[in-house]
Amino acid sequence: MDLSVNLPRGLRLKNPIIAASGTFGFGPEYAAYVDLNQLGGISVKGISPKPWRGNPPPRVWETPAGLLNSIGLQNPGLATFIEEDIPFLASVDTAVIANIIGHTVEEYRQVAERLSQEERIDAFEVNISCPNVKEGGISFGHDPRQAFLVTQAVRSVTEKPVMVKVSPNMAEPWVVAQAAVDAGADMISAINTLVGMAIDLKRRRPALGGVTGGLSGPAVKPVALRVVYEIASRVSVPVIGMGGIESAEDVLEFFLAGARAVMVGTVTFQYPERMLSIIEEIPKVWRRYGFQDLPEAVGAAHLDKEGEPG
Amino acid sequence: MKNAFKASIVARDEVAPDHVELILSSPELEDAQPGQFCHVLTPGMLRRPLSFSRLDRKRGRAGVLLQVVGSGTAWLYERRVGEQLDLLGPLGRGFEPPDPSRPWLLVGGGVGIPPLYAALQCWQAAWDQPLGVILGARAATAVIMTKDFQDRGVYPLVTTDDGSLGRFGTVMGPFLEWMDRYPESQVMACGPTGMLAALHGAAKARQGSMQLCLEQRMGCGIGACLACVVPAQPIGEEGPCYRRVCTEGPVFQAEELVF
Ligand SMILES: Cc1cc2nc3c(=O)[nH]c(=O)nc-3n(C[C@H](O)[C@H](O)[C@H](O)COP(=O)(O)OP(=O)(O)OC[C@H]3O[C@@H](n4cnc5c(N)ncnc54)[C@H](O)[C@@H]3O)c2cc1C
Ligand SMILES: Cc1cc2nc3c(=O)[nH]c(=O)nc-3n(C[C@H](O)[C@H](O)[C@H](O)COP(=O)(O)O)c2cc1C
Ligand code: FES
Repeated sequence: MDLSVNLPRGLRLKNPIIAASGTFGFGPEYAAYVDLNQLGGISVKGISPKPWRGNPPPRVWETPAGLLNSIGLQNPGLATFIEEDIPFLASVDTAVIANIIGHTVEEYRQVAERLSQEERIDAFEVNISCPNVKEGGISFGHDPRQAFLVTQAVRSVTEKPVMVKVSPNMAEPWVVAQAAVDAGADMISAINTLVGMAIDLKRRRPALGGVTGGLSGPAVKPVALRVVYEIASRVSVPVIGMGGIESAEDVLEFFLAGARAVMVGTVTFQYPERMLSIIEEIPKVWRRYGFQDLPEAVGAAHLDKEGEPG
Repeated sequence: MKNAFKASIVARDEVAPDHVELILSSPELEDAQPGQFCHVLTPGMLRRPLSFSRLDRKRGRAGVLLQVVGSGTAWLYERRVGEQLDLLGPLGRGFEPPDPSRPWLLVGGGVGIPPLYAALQCWQAAWDQPLGVILGARAATAVIMTKDFQDRGVYPLVTTDDGSLGRFGTVMGPFLEWMDRYPESQVMACGPTGMLAALHGAAKARQGSMQLCLEQRMGCGIGACLACVVPAQPIGEEGPCYRRVCTEGPVFQAEELVF
């Protein structure tokens, strides 16, 4: 089975499995555990113009079937990424997606403009949906007008493919997705984490240093599928799905909901090699449910489509 | 791949109530260093970090000694000889070897004791300078590894918070006495944050060097997620910077840290 995926503006993935931003560092960290050349792509940790310090620890907390995090987008900044990480990424044969963040529209634009000159960057993922930073991030992600302006600013400085990452923390996420598409987004990725919190009984305090955090892992999969389904049925561009994926069956569910590729995050912490076994399993699982090739499954669960029951 | 592997449990010892030491065997453990840890798969969403309690590198064996504090450690406590554990490791920056020309002091609290024993085991041979070990615990029932130290001819000074064994109080009393006697000492310490903060504070005013082995909640354990940070130097406008325990630690020089 041909696992390659063709996305807008010539973005071609070897297979539909991309490492999700923030769970896979900048690439080299997992190189001793995963053959990076076998991945469809890597979405690197969010990059801002200047270094960000991030939130106070503790930054992770386990919940039933889930993980809460409040990393707060700590990152070494654009210059360090270019000097230290791009040379490594140049040695890897997989799609590299630069996840970008900023406090202001101008900061998003700066990162996109500079990285647009880097041959090794194959696409951008504009993160307007991180629940762990007070200014920037989420404030753009919950306001369609702001989402439009951020996307437009990025679009204006790059010819590379641009996807905008949407938050699930609102009733109608497709409104923001549509605004991003109106501003020139080539793709939508969804979902980022769900805002939540935990209490540490021993300390009688919020468990996370950042008080609230973002929930990921299998616990969020039903929410993610709903958001992907709704967006895919309303916007015209390809959707990259994620949220709680642990198996090739999960990937197929996202495809049926309308995704054309997926990202895999939290499960990597437990099983670093899981993305590779998912890739290996895809043909078998696709056939088991009656699909002969990848695209055939895209959106097949939508009620307006004539689905053949497997 | 090389750093992700399964290790067999070849021995299991209930060393104190709710404490168990498991001896693991796998060729990947030949590279383990004192102060390093492994990230152990348990049924939860995250792996559990555990320090090496002893090393037998020639045979590819290493111990982990854990206290049951929650679901993951309770599951590990139930594991039996012959079963396998799924590990990432050896991980992190371990202890710098001690300088053989100066006195050496090990200070451990609770389940911070195991990595110090591994350090002693590794570097004790041919040690002729003064060598001290101070072990602290809540109560007599949580004092671990004293016999292991004694078997190597090193007699730990024990303190308990409730006075049920050894000296009443914390490790700070004997620590300060030792440092008055041997001000040039190099200290290696591991234990609860409160203990490390007190040692860190006391070390500032002194000339010896100090290495501290830290704990923090972890995600990946390999440097990718930035979950496991602690406040560290340099202190900038917004406060201390954050450094990763899993890769830049767990062992830090005291002057690198901010408590
Ligand atoms: C580098 C390092 C070395 C360690 N070495 C040892 C050791 O040799 N022996 C030992 O008994 N313990 C050690 N610990 C602590 C040990 O990792 C925790 O006790 C254990 O993770 C608790 O898991 P749990 O499921 O039983 O507890 P739960 O409270 O149910 O765990 C919930 C989550 O919190 C995390 N967590 C809870 N307490 C700690 C803690 N103190 N440090 C880090 N994460 C924590 C767990 O990993 C898990 O993700 C070490 C920790 C670190 C960071
Ligand atoms: C520790 C952690 C850090 C993350 N950091 C980022 C980030 O920097 N940028 C981003 O767009 N998403 C970030 N995410 C969200 C993931 O990319 C993904 O959207 C989410 O975790 C859902 O997928 P999963 O359930 O497979 O993890 C992070 C998630 C986790 C768990
Ligand atoms: S636990 Fe992920 S960076 Fe340390």
